[in-house]
Amino acid sequence: MPVSTAPKLKQFARRLLEWEAAPGEPADVRETAAFRVCEKLRGPLGKLMGIAGFRSLFSRALTLAGTEVSWLRVLQIKADGSLEGLQELEVQLNSRTADEGEIVLVARLLGLLVTFIGPALTVRLLHDAWPELDDLNF
Amino acid sequence: MKEKTMPARPLAKKESPPEKVKIRQLPTGVRGLDEILGGGLPEFSFNIIAGAPGCGKTTLAHQIIFANATPQKPALYFTVLGEPAIKMLRYQQQYSFFDPAKLGKAVRFINLSDVLLEKDMGAVLEEIIREVAACAPSIVVVDSFRTVVRKAMGEGTEGQLQGFIQRLALYLTSWEATTFLIGEYSEGELRDNPLFTVCDGLFWLTQNVERNSVVRKLQIMKLRGQDSVPGLHTVRITGDGLQAFSRTLGLVGKKDRPLKRRRLSTGIPELDQMMNGGILEGDSVLIAGPSGTGKSAVATHFLAEGLRNGEAGIAAIFEERPKGYAARANAFGLDLETPQKNGKLEMLYLRPLDLSVDETMQEILDAVKRLDAKRLVIDSLVGFEMALAPGFREDFRESLYRMIAALTGAGVTIFTTVEIEDSFTSFEFSHYTISFLTDDIIRLRYVEIDGQMRKILVVVKMRGGNHSKDIREYVITDKGVVVIGPRQTDYARLTSGLPERIGQVPAEMPPEPKAKR
Repeated sequence: MPVSTAPKLKQFARRLLEWEAAPGEPADVRETAAFRVCEKLRGPLGKLMGIAGFRSLFSRALTLAGTEVSWLRVLQIKADGSLEGLQELEVQLNSRTADEGEIVLVARLLGLLVTFIGPALTVRLLHDAWPELDDLNF
Repeated sequence: MKEKTMPARPLAKKESPPEKVKIRQLPTGVRGLDEILGGGLPEFSFNIIAGAPGCGKTTLAHQIIFANATPQKPALYFTVLGEPAIKMLRYQQQYSFFDPAKLGKAVRFINLSDVLLEKDMGAVLEEIIREVAACAPSIVVVDSFRTVVRKAMGEGTEGQLQGFIQRLALYLTSWEATTFLIGEYSEGELRDNPLFTVCDGLFWLTQNVERNSVVRKLQIMKLRGQDSVPGLHTVRITGDGLQAFSRTLGLVGKKDRPLKRRRLSTGIPELDQMMNGGILEGDSVLIAGPSGTGKSAVATHFLAEGLRNGEAGIAAIFEERPKGYAARANAFGLDLETPQKNGKLEMLYLRPLDLSVDETMQEILDAVKRLDAKRLVIDSLVGFEMALAPGFREDFRESLYRMIAALTGAGVTIFTTVEIEDSFTSFEFSHYTISFLTDDIIRLRYVEIDGQMRKILVVVKMRGGNHSKDIREYVITDKGVVVIGPRQTDYARLTSGLPERIGQVPAEMPPEPKAKR
């Protein structure tokens, strides 16, 4: 039985996903919110850890998330650390299922960051990626 | 033909030569290191932090960047095939100097591993230049530069490597960055290495195991533009990061003791008389004697007397815990508890077994400074030496000499106890051959008289003038050390411990009252 993601992390992930959702664009052309969140994290984290470092961390997050939400298991992470297949897959899912998977994936990535560098530094990194969200805190 | 002459110039005022460039110094953020460096890090210098794994190279670099980086003048920390940045952050944030608020804006970590793995050193240089040009950092760190060099050597010639180092040094200096390249090097690599030729500063960290203790040292092998303190300096890594202990203990250029010196009471009136009115302020006094003769009791009297006169004191004790020490003083009617609460007395219990001499001395010096102490007791030298890591014991006398000289020079009066075994053939003062450290020596010893083991004391030496040559008997009572009777004229060869009666046999005396516990 996989250990489920902490509710606080999910809440945090939901906040980022809501911020990145772009309701103006049609669903079939817009990037998913999870893709945007991960892309925004890929920049600073890739700089910090190297693309290989980010890729390995993201792969671990995806594996952990896949134990909770099975449809995530088919996703891939490309050599440059970007997520592959999410947009195509989500078209086939209902929005609730898709949202749940996105939240778990982002929460798992944040969870790994918290595990390794602690909440203070994680929040610091997120602030740099989302300077508009000044009330981010664990 | 008229001779051509130079027009006469009006007499100009004597012009002062143009000013030399003033090299600004940056703080290291490492306690004790600025002083070792001669004031701080030379700004815009190109430095190497070298040493074996686990010496504290990365931690030193982190302390430097966190001490200096601001959002306006940030620090760039390039990681290259060394410790993964995420783990580095995980561990480094445990140190008190690590300020998470600085991360991102003031302190920026950039990973160059991918560039180095996929491209070449030229690409690494380009990437560094691009980042430096983008944010004009005040400090740049490349960790580990050794991996860059290894990659470079695998690909190109030594000439290419030298060119790379030259360009890097030139570029970073031109961009007004103070640079630190971190690398794992051994001393054998020092020769003919272009990196060490180019660099302005070379910080060498070592870690040696001496029996069961680990001893870390720092040497400033090279530092252009300013005088650093030569030699090996002890380094300790704690929750606050690195702390360096200068060989000079930070005592260079401290104030001299006053020319006119007071006589200080020892708290034992008869002993004061024997010492021509007391100890000269700023003297170093050695009390030598075997176990149980009351060396600590004499030292306690000295401290308590100072406290009575409003002089703050420090007791650096190595063989007894402060509570026990104070309780014993209390049994003599000497209160060491209240002055501790009032901030007039500090009892330093220094007993971990891997202390370095310099950090122990630093603890004492810090306490003296904190309290503006006038009296210091070191009880005892044997305990002090035992508290040190074995590797430091060789340096013991030298460091002790530096500390005592500096403290007495500043007017602090020091009482040091030393335990010696009584020999019945000689009259030793100390096993340490430290009499050169001391101005005054008081010797305590046992003598066998009339079937009793009694105690005698004698002032052997007083550098500051005349003193009594009498050998006096003393007892330790509930009043502490009490010197009794005039000099013994009924006995000869008292200093041997086995005197000969040459006077009359007195009536039997009752035993002295014992100190209350």
